[in-house]
Amino acid sequence: MPTVLVIEDDEVTAREIVTELGAHAIRADWVADGRAGLERAAGGGYDLITLDRMLPGLDGIGVVAALRRMQVDTPVLMISALSDVDERVRGLRAGGDDYLTKPFAPDEMAARVEVLLRRRRQPESNRLQVADLELDLVRHVAHRNGQQLNLLPTEYRLLEFLMRNAGQALTRSMIFETVWGYHFDPGTNVIDVHIARLRRKLEGAGPPLIHTVRGTGYMLALPES
Amino acid sequence: MSAPYNAWRSATSRLILIYGALFAGWGLILVGIIHWESSRYLNGVVDQMLLQRMQYLAATDAQRLPATVDAASRIDPHGIMSVGLFDASGHALAGNIARLPAALTVGDGVHLLEQGMPRPDRPAETTRARAVATRLPDGRLLVLAKDTRTVDGLGAVIRNALLWAISLTVIPGVLGGFLLRRGPARRIRALQQATEPIRRGDLAKRLPVSHRGDELDQLATIVNAMLGEIERLMGEMKSVCDNIAHDLRTPLTGLRARLYRARQQLEARPEAAMVDACMADIDAVLTRFRALLRVSELEDGHRRTCFGAVDLGEVLRQVHDFYAPLAEEQGLRFTLELSALPPFRGDPPLLFEALTNLVANAVKFTPAGGRVALRAAAEAGAVRIEVVDSGPGIPEHEREAVTRRFYRGDNSRCTPGSGLGLSIVSAIARLHDLTLDIGDNGGAGTRIGLYGRLGGDARGEASRPARASVRHAADAGLAAG
Repeated sequence: MPTVLVIEDDEVTAREIVTELGAHAIRADWVADGRAGLERAAGGGYDLITLDRMLPGLDGIGVVAALRRMQVDTPVLMISALSDVDERVRGLRAGGDDYLTKPFAPDEMAARVEVLLRRRRQPESNRLQVADLELDLVRHVAHRNGQQLNLLPTEYRLLEFLMRNAGQALTRSMIFETVWGYHFDPGTNVIDVHIARLRRKLEGAGPPLIHTVRGTGYMLALPES
Repeated sequence: MSAPYNAWRSATSRLILIYGALFAGWGLILVGIIHWESSRYLNGVVDQMLLQRMQYLAATDAQRLPATVDAASRIDPHGIMSVGLFDASGHALAGNIARLPAALTVGDGVHLLEQGMPRPDRPAETTRARAVATRLPDGRLLVLAKDTRTVDGLGAVIRNALLWAISLTVIPGVLGGFLLRRGPARRIRALQQATEPIRRGDLAKRLPVSHRGDELDQLATIVNAMLGEIERLMGEMKSVCDNIAHDLRTPLTGLRARLYRARQQLEARPEAAMVDACMADIDAVLTRFRALLRVSELEDGHRRTCFGAVDLGEVLRQVHDFYAPLAEEQGLRFTLELSALPPFRGDPPLLFEALTNLVANAVKFTPAGGRVALRAAAEAGAVRIEVVDSGPGIPEHEREAVTRRFYRGDNSRCTPGSGLGLSIVSAIARLHDLTLDIGDNGGAGTRIGLYGRLGGDARGEASRPARASVRHAADAGLAAG
């Protein structure tokens, strides 16, 4: 069971995070103060840290910067009420791995935590495989049932993100941020159409792999699950 | 737009004209009074003199009277003084008067003879004359007259003086007035120019006030105070809107989270559809709030930190790539037309966001079978990025309004969207000193363009003066939509 350290001074938000992570079979410890949080995090034993941007004692940027200086590379999900893009840039530059703006949907927070956890667990490899779908990360080609799929560069990146997080629900904004690299609200239908195209290409060679997760987004998973 | 400046509309010109006319009129009246008064006075003097002389002659011995009259008439070489003695039947007995003029009345004091006094030595002359006739006790008639050329001469002198005075006053007056008018006219033009950006919504601008403190400055100060108040109120309204959006986000997100949990417990039960619909509604509201806060964030305009040299072609290719599937899905031909573009100073994510908003609108409103083109070109140091479509177009009267918050055209009432897309574009354009212009695509469809100068600062960090560009996101647009 992965363990997450929640550094968050607002009790309501903290309880929400702990509950939601619990629902996803992730254990969470809560610390309300920046300095105490830094001590706990530096002590090790955590797979991930969710970190509030504004904290009493030492603020979130200070905590993550100090951790990185101490060579602690635990993934950090910054959670902040500051939505300004400059703030996001600052948070990521200081060493954060992802940035989520308050107020957030709990499922989105959990999805981001799981993506970060998985990224850490994933061994370095030249290929990804989900059922009969294979992705060659060196040659940038995908095969299904031994049949090569004709993917555009965007479709390839989209498929890679979905496959790396197979079995994990991904929100549209996570998909947009990772595949296109931008952080704004592009509207749902554009992403949906990209997914639909990729889906059609995958289904030309086998049963459906990309599933719609109601109220959240999409998930690539085995046909049975 | 403003009416062309009309010289005769100028308040100064009008004042000068009215004042000049009054002045000239008053001058005429004054000179007329002087003329009249001096003529009256001179006539009085003449009359007095005539009466005195008449008295003197009438008192002369009756026998010597003709000789005296003749002697008197001889000392008048210029034909000014006329004197004559007539018998009872009106025949001339002595003097230099040929005959009794018909207009002459006897015993009626001094009066004016328009035809003058007939003189045998000057038959051609008909100068007006003042005359007096007295019947002597022996029945003879004694006539005395003095022509009015002295008095008339005075009139001529006064008239000439008047003409000179008027021409000397009016000509420099008109010239001076013309010169005087140019000053205020120049300042009015300066004020007019200063109001242009304010009219477009840049309420931080003020009218210029000079050190003179005259009427124009007082007016400008009043207007500036008014603008300050409007700016303050607009700012308050904007921050109230932002605060509402900001504060409502937390409970709405909480509500959505609870619905999400409920939805997970419902699984495939029939109530699930209703919960899904509720969540979709909340998502729509949250999207709107996010967009609203995004506009404010962009309008605050602190975001130049991420500015650098941008490959516009690359950004446009990404936008095209991003929207091509949706356009194709909707049966549209979506083309990308690029020419060589030099580096542009800006923020790639913001430019991407602005362009996706423009393309999203074009794709949304163009019916199937139509065309959408994304194109960019650079020429003569200027850059032009346009999205054109073959859709219904934006009516001319709506073109300015569509960039306002929440404005939605008549054609778009049934289409989902936040109504804030163009406000976001407008704010991003302003950050990049780009002008947002909405037109038609050669008479049909819509052409929305971002136009700007490339300038030499694609590399430099020099802060540029905030050039006046579009700022339509006037908060007054809240009512629309």
